[in-house]
Amino acid sequence: MLDARSLVKSYGGVKALDRADIRLRGGEVHALVGENGAGKSTLVRILSGTLAPDEGSVRLADRAREGGIAVVSQELSLFPDLTVRENLFPHRPPRRFGLLDRGAMDRAARPVLADLGLDVDPGTLLGELPLADQQLTEIARALLRRPRVLVLDEPTSALPAAAVDRLEQVLRTLTERGIAILYVTHFLEEVMRFAHRVTVLRDGRVTLAGVRGEEIGVPDLVKAMLGAAPPLPVRRERAPADGPPPVVLSEVCVPGRLTDVTFTVRAGEVVGVAGLQGAGHLDALAVVCGRTAVSAGRVGVGDRGLPRSLRDAIRAGVAFVPSDRKRFGLMTDRTVWENTTSVSWLALGRGGVMPSRAELVRRTADLTARLRLRGGPHDVVARLSGGNQQKVVFAKWLATDPRIVVLDDPTRGVDVGVRAEMHAIVGELAAGGAAVLVASTDLAELTEVCDRVLVFVRGRITAEVSGGRLTEHELAAAMQSGADVRSNGGEAHRS
Amino acid sequence: MTETDRAVEDAERARAREQGGGTRRFGLPPAGTWAARLPTRWLPDELGVLLVLALLIAGIGIPYPDFLDSDNLLTTAHNSVYISLMACGMVFALAMREVDLSVGGSYAMCLVVGALLVREGVDPWLAVPVMLLTGTALGVFNALVTTLLALPSFIVTLGTLMLFRGIGLALADGKQITDLPLDDSFFTLAGGDLGGVPFALWVLLAVTAVLTVVLARTRFGSRVRAIGSNPEAATFSGIPVVRTRVQALALSGLTTACASVLALAYYGAGDPTLGQGYELQAIAACIIGGTPLAGGRGSVVGAVAGALILAVVASGLVFFEVPINWTSFATGAVILVAVAADSALRRRGRRRASRRQ
Repeated sequence: MLDARSLVKSYGGVKALDRADIRLRGGEVHALVGENGAGKSTLVRILSGTLAPDEGSVRLADRAREGGIAVVSQELSLFPDLTVRENLFPHRPPRRFGLLDRGAMDRAARPVLADLGLDVDPGTLLGELPLADQQLTEIARALLRRPRVLVLDEPTSALPAAAVDRLEQVLRTLTERGIAILYVTHFLEEVMRFAHRVTVLRDGRVTLAGVRGEEIGVPDLVKAMLGAAPPLPVRRERAPADGPPPVVLSEVCVPGRLTDVTFTVRAGEVVGVAGLQGAGHLDALAVVCGRTAVSAGRVGVGDRGLPRSLRDAIRAGVAFVPSDRKRFGLMTDRTVWENTTSVSWLALGRGGVMPSRAELVRRTADLTARLRLRGGPHDVVARLSGGNQQKVVFAKWLATDPRIVVLDDPTRGVDVGVRAEMHAIVGELAAGGAAVLVASTDLAELTEVCDRVLVFVRGRITAEVSGGRLTEHELAAAMQSGADVRSNGGEAHRS
Repeated sequence: MTETDRAVEDAERARAREQGGGTRRFGLPPAGTWAARLPTRWLPDELGVLLVLALLIAGIGIPYPDFLDSDNLLTTAHNSVYISLMACGMVFALAMREVDLSVGGSYAMCLVVGALLVREGVDPWLAVPVMLLTGTALGVFNALVTTLLALPSFIVTLGTLMLFRGIGLALADGKQITDLPLDDSFFTLAGGDLGGVPFALWVLLAVTAVLTVVLARTRFGSRVRAIGSNPEAATFSGIPVVRTRVQALALSGLTTACASVLALAYYGAGDPTLGQGYELQAIAACIIGGTPLAGGRGSVVGAVAGALILAVVASGLVFFEVPINWTSFATGAVILVAVAADSALRRRGRRRASRRQ
């Protein structure tokens, strides 16, 4: 149905795709998996025609020409304030006498919606539908173009488990019609469930090409995604301090997100949390930061109990470096010193009502020197590079001398050098007696900075990996299966 | 030399090296010389609007030298005091991405409250704190409703604008409150001149000076600008957003009440219909003065200059004998021209600054 041969695409010297091949057959679900940055999105964009490859070709079988390729993208591209009907026909809706022809729209939409098991009134406002139905509406919109090839780019990342079952039904119906489906995902469990064939990308190369699903297992996929196990990183042993641990969660439940989660972080310890999207590891961080209400269980943060708000948590000694620094971390139109003093002075009130500006600037200069930030206190943050911006975020929290440091993807989008510097700072913080909690989409990062990593699957801690077993492979396998992996060093929490 | 100083200097030298090529090409002094050390952070912001004000005064004064008469200039400035004071408070609301449309209503209500108290025999000097407290309370009310209903302050204060004016009208029974003891020291001093300058202008000068420092230098002012710059980051930094909103809108109510006090002293009566449309003029003054609706920045001096521009235009129209039906048109045109000129100057300033860096 579709045959793509030796596709090459480079972005400024970096090869996003390196001679990648993929063949899709009608009536089959073909899974495309790979880590973040493996080249999945680039491949999808080339197949859908929104990006031209540097080399290589994409051929469609004659039958596929008329309907072409339809892509359902990762983020919903729908209009929540319009009706389902209007969303289904975004361009060239059927018209009569110059007005929208609702009858014709409904007649065209009805069989498609029925196929998807989507039983909604086309006049409903899209925003009122549950997320799963919105996702199905997006698929319906793609199907209305009668494609022969359908690309689903991480369709389940936004979906609850029940909706995934429905999606499986939908995929079955569609493949029976002879449509070829390319299913992009990083949930290996789904691959094993839905896919007839699998292609794995690693660093732009195909490491597993169109293998039949029944011929391989999850460990093979992990190996193809990550490559051969790298040598173990040398880890400095840290001795966590005695005394009451600054972070204690005991049988904590958050409805629909966390179930009986129990862990502690001691002073001087770096603990990672890992999991697939929606597994609950980020919700555990949210609890510590006071951003989530807890329905059961006991929480201790610093000297206090459950923080009621982020502000409350910050006053208990928490520093929170969020993953989206431009949105949540920085005032990019302001100078470095205004950013670095925004927590210690503006939030915690240290320095009083009207401290001398020279003093604030001097304190900022101390921090920027410690972090080797390139740029002076009076530079506007927007003009700094991404790595230096992230250093500003670190600086503003370091200024508070935090006892508990919560990091969500602390090195996203920074270069290797800055990444190493950040890791050194995390080490220093722990050595200085802070309790550090890290989440990261970069598993290598967790293995490098953490003493131990808690693995979350469906809202529970299913494994704790530490010591010599703390490797990317071990983590990836634990995140995917959640049942088989027990670490030798730590105890596994299960219930 | 401390470790820190050295690191900062190293960083600056590295930056100068990196961007050295561009600097030389434009023949501007490299970073690190006196030109880069000028406090350019605030200078160009007010420069533009002050320039527009000076040009306007000159533009009217050259054909009509009478306009430059000090009495006339003082009268013109005095006319702007009420809107200037409201604009001073409004800067704080706008800088944190809020807006206070209720100032026209609070102005009338505080005026009526004060006039009623004085008519009932309360010492006028005692009525002053009551009026100021009333105005502050109205601002707090705005902030609390905004927070509790989780609505934009634009909508809430649109409602309270009419609400407050309505209370004023009801209290005053729809009529002007007169028969006040005009020989009291309050009316002769606060409504009169001090050193040849209207008392109200001294108050405006003091308020402008204090609030300029408050906005630029204090924790409260920094919080206001931080929230306006990036509200989400402010929340994620633990900055008390709600408390700051209450304080900012209370301040807006307080400066409005200040205007009411001065109006009561000057007019010697309480007119509940006074101040119609002042809220929009105050906002216009802030925008002319370089406080963007998008928040994050603000200039009290600029806002006062903006209000002065509006007053100069109104007064100039009389000199130019513009027909009365065209005054609104002319005022609108001036607002557009002033904002356009200011933003053009600012863009040029920013380009220069980025070239220098």
